[in-house]
Amino acid sequence: MGNFTRRALLGSVGVVALGGLAYGGSRVACRFVPRNHPDFFSLLDMVPDEPAVRRLGRSALAADGLARDLPSLAAALTDRPLIRQAIAEDCPTTRKTLVQDQCALDFADDRTVVVDGWVLSETEASLCAARMLSAQPV
Amino acid sequence: MIADLRSGAAPAEITGDVCVVGTGPAGITLALELARKGKTVVLLEGGGPAYEEDSQDLYRGAVTGHDNIDVANSRLRQFGGTSGHWTGLCAPLDPLDFEKRADMPTHGWPVTREELNPFYARAQDYLDLGPFKYDLADWSAALPHKALPLDPAKVFTDVYQESPPTRFAEKFYDAVANEPRIQCWLHASLTDVTLRDGSDVVQSVTASTLDGRRTTVKAKTYVIACGGLENARILLNCRKQRPAGLGNEHDLVGRYYTDHMTVETTTIMFNEGVDTSLYAADMQAGGTKLLIGLKLNPDLIKSMGLNNNSAFLVPQYEKDVYNDDFRNYGWIAFSTMLKTFSRGHVPDRFAERYCDMTDDLGQVATGVYRHAVRSFMPPAHPARVYKLRQDAEQSPNPDSRVTLITDKDPLGFNRIALDWRVSADDLLKLRRTHEVIGAAIGAAGLGRMRLGIGEKPDLELAYSAYHHMGTTRMHDDPRQGVVDRDCRLHSVANLYMAGSSTFTTGGCANPTLTVVTLAIRLAEHLAVAA
Repeated sequence: MGNFTRRALLGSVGVVALGGLAYGGSRVACRFVPRNHPDFFSLLDMVPDEPAVRRLGRSALAADGLARDLPSLAAALTDRPLIRQAIAEDCPTTRKTLVQDQCALDFADDRTVVVDGWVLSETEASLCAARMLSAQPV
Repeated sequence: MIADLRSGAAPAEITGDVCVVGTGPAGITLALELARKGKTVVLLEGGGPAYEEDSQDLYRGAVTGHDNIDVANSRLRQFGGTSGHWTGLCAPLDPLDFEKRADMPTHGWPVTREELNPFYARAQDYLDLGPFKYDLADWSAALPHKALPLDPAKVFTDVYQESPPTRFAEKFYDAVANEPRIQCWLHASLTDVTLRDGSDVVQSVTASTLDGRRTTVKAKTYVIACGGLENARILLNCRKQRPAGLGNEHDLVGRYYTDHMTVETTTIMFNEGVDTSLYAADMQAGGTKLLIGLKLNPDLIKSMGLNNNSAFLVPQYEKDVYNDDFRNYGWIAFSTMLKTFSRGHVPDRFAERYCDMTDDLGQVATGVYRHAVRSFMPPAHPARVYKLRQDAEQSPNPDSRVTLITDKDPLGFNRIALDWRVSADDLLKLRRTHEVIGAAIGAAGLGRMRLGIGEKPDLELAYSAYHHMGTTRMHDDPRQGVVDRDCRLHSVANLYMAGSSTFTTGGCANPTLTVVTLAIRLAEHLAVAA
């Protein structure tokens, strides 16, 4: 095994530093690049993982009119303008308000679904269904 | 004058301008209105001045259809009729109720709500109600609370008024007795209607007592005002000259029986802070007791093919002491007896009520305890959970009907069988109505609803409101109705029907106000025609 020369050490450090710089710079730069990949799953933090929610989620998955897998549920939800805003929002209070407003809009536009007897907006039913699916072991 | 046919004082033939059979809200209103217009009236009542078991027994019959109903005790055969035990809730039928509808070919009255408005306004006084105002806007200045902020294009807040309730026997006995143009005969049951030979004109009617006395009444015009079931029974029993019964040439008498489906189900959970006080049971405005409910916009009802409905909010408290689930037959018997004794009278059906109360003594004790607790410890917080209670409309159904059975009463009339039909379709319409209310509440951010009617409805959810309607329905076409727009039998020149049997459809309003309204209107007509 040959000696690790000073030149090799400096070169390696330089490569790592350049890599780090490129990565860090990219992360900073990318913050300013609009992207169309909303973080749907972060919304699920708003839906508690409780037995009642799971029960509703299970019923919602069996109900007509709703998607039955996570990607489709995510796609359907992120089609809704206030949900897109909620996903991009950091403040939990504002996120909650936006989701509630989207639910109200659903009701006003007759986008409702009956789940276990409850008259729910499609948005909240979809969130319960997604919570149910995301809680299941893979 | 009020006299008793059993006394033997009646002449063999009694005459007057108009013979009115029945002294319920329709009969008494009609008689008083006609007398005020100068007509002489012979007023016949099958029962006595108060409840009598042998008279009431004439109402016994069979129930062959949906059995959450009764034909024997839901109506009263006595002076004042069923006003002796009605609950007093009043509202006019809606304009929508009178309209023809493309989705329901047999829907639609031959008169409009607008035509009835002046008579509705006059009917208010008979029932001790406030002014003829049933829009929330008419009352909002006097109401201490605000309506829920719902989208009026979908759901709006609806107003009913509450009568004390007026007992016609108590309120109008003296007025009838002191009216010189009215001769009222008690214990005078109609047992025959005779047509003039070869004509469609009533020549006379026969009134009989249970002990065999009889008299003949001759008048220019006759009105049968005995209630939604008895009106049909009388016509069907008069087969001497018309084998199918009077007015029954098209097999319509007794058909289209309709009632209101009393359903208390579907739960609303309101968010914290939502003010539902306006919808409480004891709302008062300017001295008028109101009951406020939720109703669908009529345009939406039509476009969605639904039936009419007013839904009232029944609070559900977490603490049982504030809930009313003790109100069963025993409690009702106890409460009725208490109220009647407090007015200085002995309750009718005393033995039956006493036994009902004794059977359910536990519930009675619960009710007394809860009322006592509530009087000094009202609920700390208003309820957030409510059930929807309603008397929902049924779609017109010719198979829902009153027919005669072979069993006869002591006067020789065949008794009735009531085949009340409750359809899954009507309950599904009610479910859809609730869904719309639930969506409106969700859209306003007020809460959420859980439906109580399933996709395959349990018919047992529906109870009769004891609003017997439609058995001699009003229609311009003799093939679709027994009486014409003036409430005259299509096939008999001088025989009219009064009361809820003439309703073409039932809407969702309690019927008594419309019964009195139509009686006033009929009096106007007969004052000229009779």
